[in-house]
Amino acid sequence: MEGSSEGVAAASPTLLQADGLGKSFGANRVLHDVSFTVRRGEVLGILGPNGAGKTTLFNLISGDLRPNSGTIRFDGHMLGGEPPFRRARLGIGRTYQIPLPYGGMTTFENLLVSASFAGNKSESAVYDYCATVLEECELGGKANKMADTLTLLDRKRLELARALAARPKLLLLDEIAGGLTDDEGRDLVELVRKIRDRGITIVWIEHVLHALMAVAERVMVLDFGEKIAEGPPREVIEDPEVKRVYMGIEV
Amino acid sequence: MTGFESTVRAQVRSQTKSGIAAMIIGIALLVALVAMPWWASQGTIRSVVELCCYIAIAQMWNLLAGYGGLVSVGQQAFSGVAAYAMFALAQNLGINPFFAVPLCLIAPVLLAVPTYGLLHRLDGPYFAIGTWVVAEVMRLLTSNFSYVNAGAGMSLRVMTQYSAHERAIGVSILCALMLLITVGGTYWLLRSRYGLALTAMRDNPVSAASQGVNVSRLRFLLFIAGAAGTGLAGAIYFMAQLRITPEAAYGPQWATVAIFIVMIGGLGSIEGVLVGSIIYFFADRWFGEYGATYLIVLGILTLIVALFARQGIWGLMSKVVDAPWFPTRRVLVSGESR
Repeated sequence: MEGSSEGVAAASPTLLQADGLGKSFGANRVLHDVSFTVRRGEVLGILGPNGAGKTTLFNLISGDLRPNSGTIRFDGHMLGGEPPFRRARLGIGRTYQIPLPYGGMTTFENLLVSASFAGNKSESAVYDYCATVLEECELGGKANKMADTLTLLDRKRLELARALAARPKLLLLDEIAGGLTDDEGRDLVELVRKIRDRGITIVWIEHVLHALMAVAERVMVLDFGEKIAEGPPREVIEDPEVKRVYMGIEV
Repeated sequence: MTGFESTVRAQVRSQTKSGIAAMIIGIALLVALVAMPWWASQGTIRSVVELCCYIAIAQMWNLLAGYGGLVSVGQQAFSGVAAYAMFALAQNLGINPFFAVPLCLIAPVLLAVPTYGLLHRLDGPYFAIGTWVVAEVMRLLTSNFSYVNAGAGMSLRVMTQYSAHERAIGVSILCALMLLITVGGTYWLLRSRYGLALTAMRDNPVSAASQGVNVSRLRFLLFIAGAAGTGLAGAIYFMAQLRITPEAAYGPQWATVAIFIVMIGGLGSIEGVLVGSIIYFFADRWFGEYGATYLIVLGILTLIVALFARQGIWGLMSKVVDAPWFPTRRVLVSGESR
């Protein structure tokens, strides 16, 4: 099952391949037979109403949850029972929908943790890179501020910066634009573009449609745990089924 | 390699003036501790040894609860088993008692491994109750174990080969080493790369795991280290007492005191433990004679701190002046300019 992707990414090799993923919590079926492919260097957007199983899909990839069925291949490895910390070291970085910073540490120290542990490097070897990432994410002036004193925008930036500090191959972004003003959202889109241009593959769950449309090469839509559409953003949002479930427009 | 080019030369500072001053004072205090037999009375030495043991046990409890999120009320299992192992090694097997102190730490470590295996799947309060059960089981087993004289307890008669002065020298040196290992060791750990992981784990174990931190292995290692450190304090305490009984060795007051010290002083900081230990020590000296009333006041004090000053007295102090005694913060000095 391949999406009709276009552009540069179509030619590059696969980084992540999910086949027939399913997850249930008791009788509650959250994901059912979801298959998709992410190519190196592309940005795949994921759309879907609340409860469609988007975050659960991320949890399966990051190892926070185990699938009931299906397989995930990442960077040539078949993923099995690896816990989250091991997947982070393999190069899967993620952000959480509700930012989970280390509140009692500074912004800079937050980055040191992921750069040193997920990145498997000594502490002093990551100082320069963490300082650079802070600059790139516009957190440079807040390096020594405690993370729990940051504003929402800065917490979202920190969530992203912390995942970036580990130099991930794949970055899973979970609703990083939600709750931001238009200007703040635009800044964030710029940042995601910049990250993509540095060779980091991105899967981005986002409700803020225009933000996603501005960056994603391909979009996948989930509804009630099933994939209902996949393809270039313009085509996908014109899909009558997507219009019906996602925008609430009856055809 | 994916990601940005490192364009910033970062300069990081992690020591402060207050930290250097505290280190000098700390070394001076350790020297004074070792020299105690030449300047202090027997009574003072006994009190100071007790204070040192409280600091060590509270520091280990702080490491478990403050960083690992492992709230144990049964650490007396480890201090008790270590002390008993030391008595058995010295009294029954004829090993030099001062040499038996480090040797006996095998016992708490051997006990901690299966204990953790059994309990680590339990959440917060269930874990706490589990540790208490382990301590009670150890007390009952020891009370029925004739090799260590069962419920009647043992005396460390081999110590009579040394004069009171020699004993004091030995115990003072052991105390200094114990503080160096428990307090100094914690400080060293927190300043190392693993300190970042421990602090991250303290603040948010879920995101720490997603950032490459092996949270479950770190918790296991903390539990083992906590058992060994608590065991060392138990062995030294009962060596100074020269007598041990199952009731004294496995009494719940050990855990109570550790919890009080850490809660009052401030959870998750080395300074908090020291502040809390000193408060407890003097409260016990000055008000201990009031018995039950004194304990009720201590309990109410803990409650007030838990409700209104979560970070303890050290937390309040550091809000007024930011002068840590054991700084662990990595301050990015340059590379901040845009």
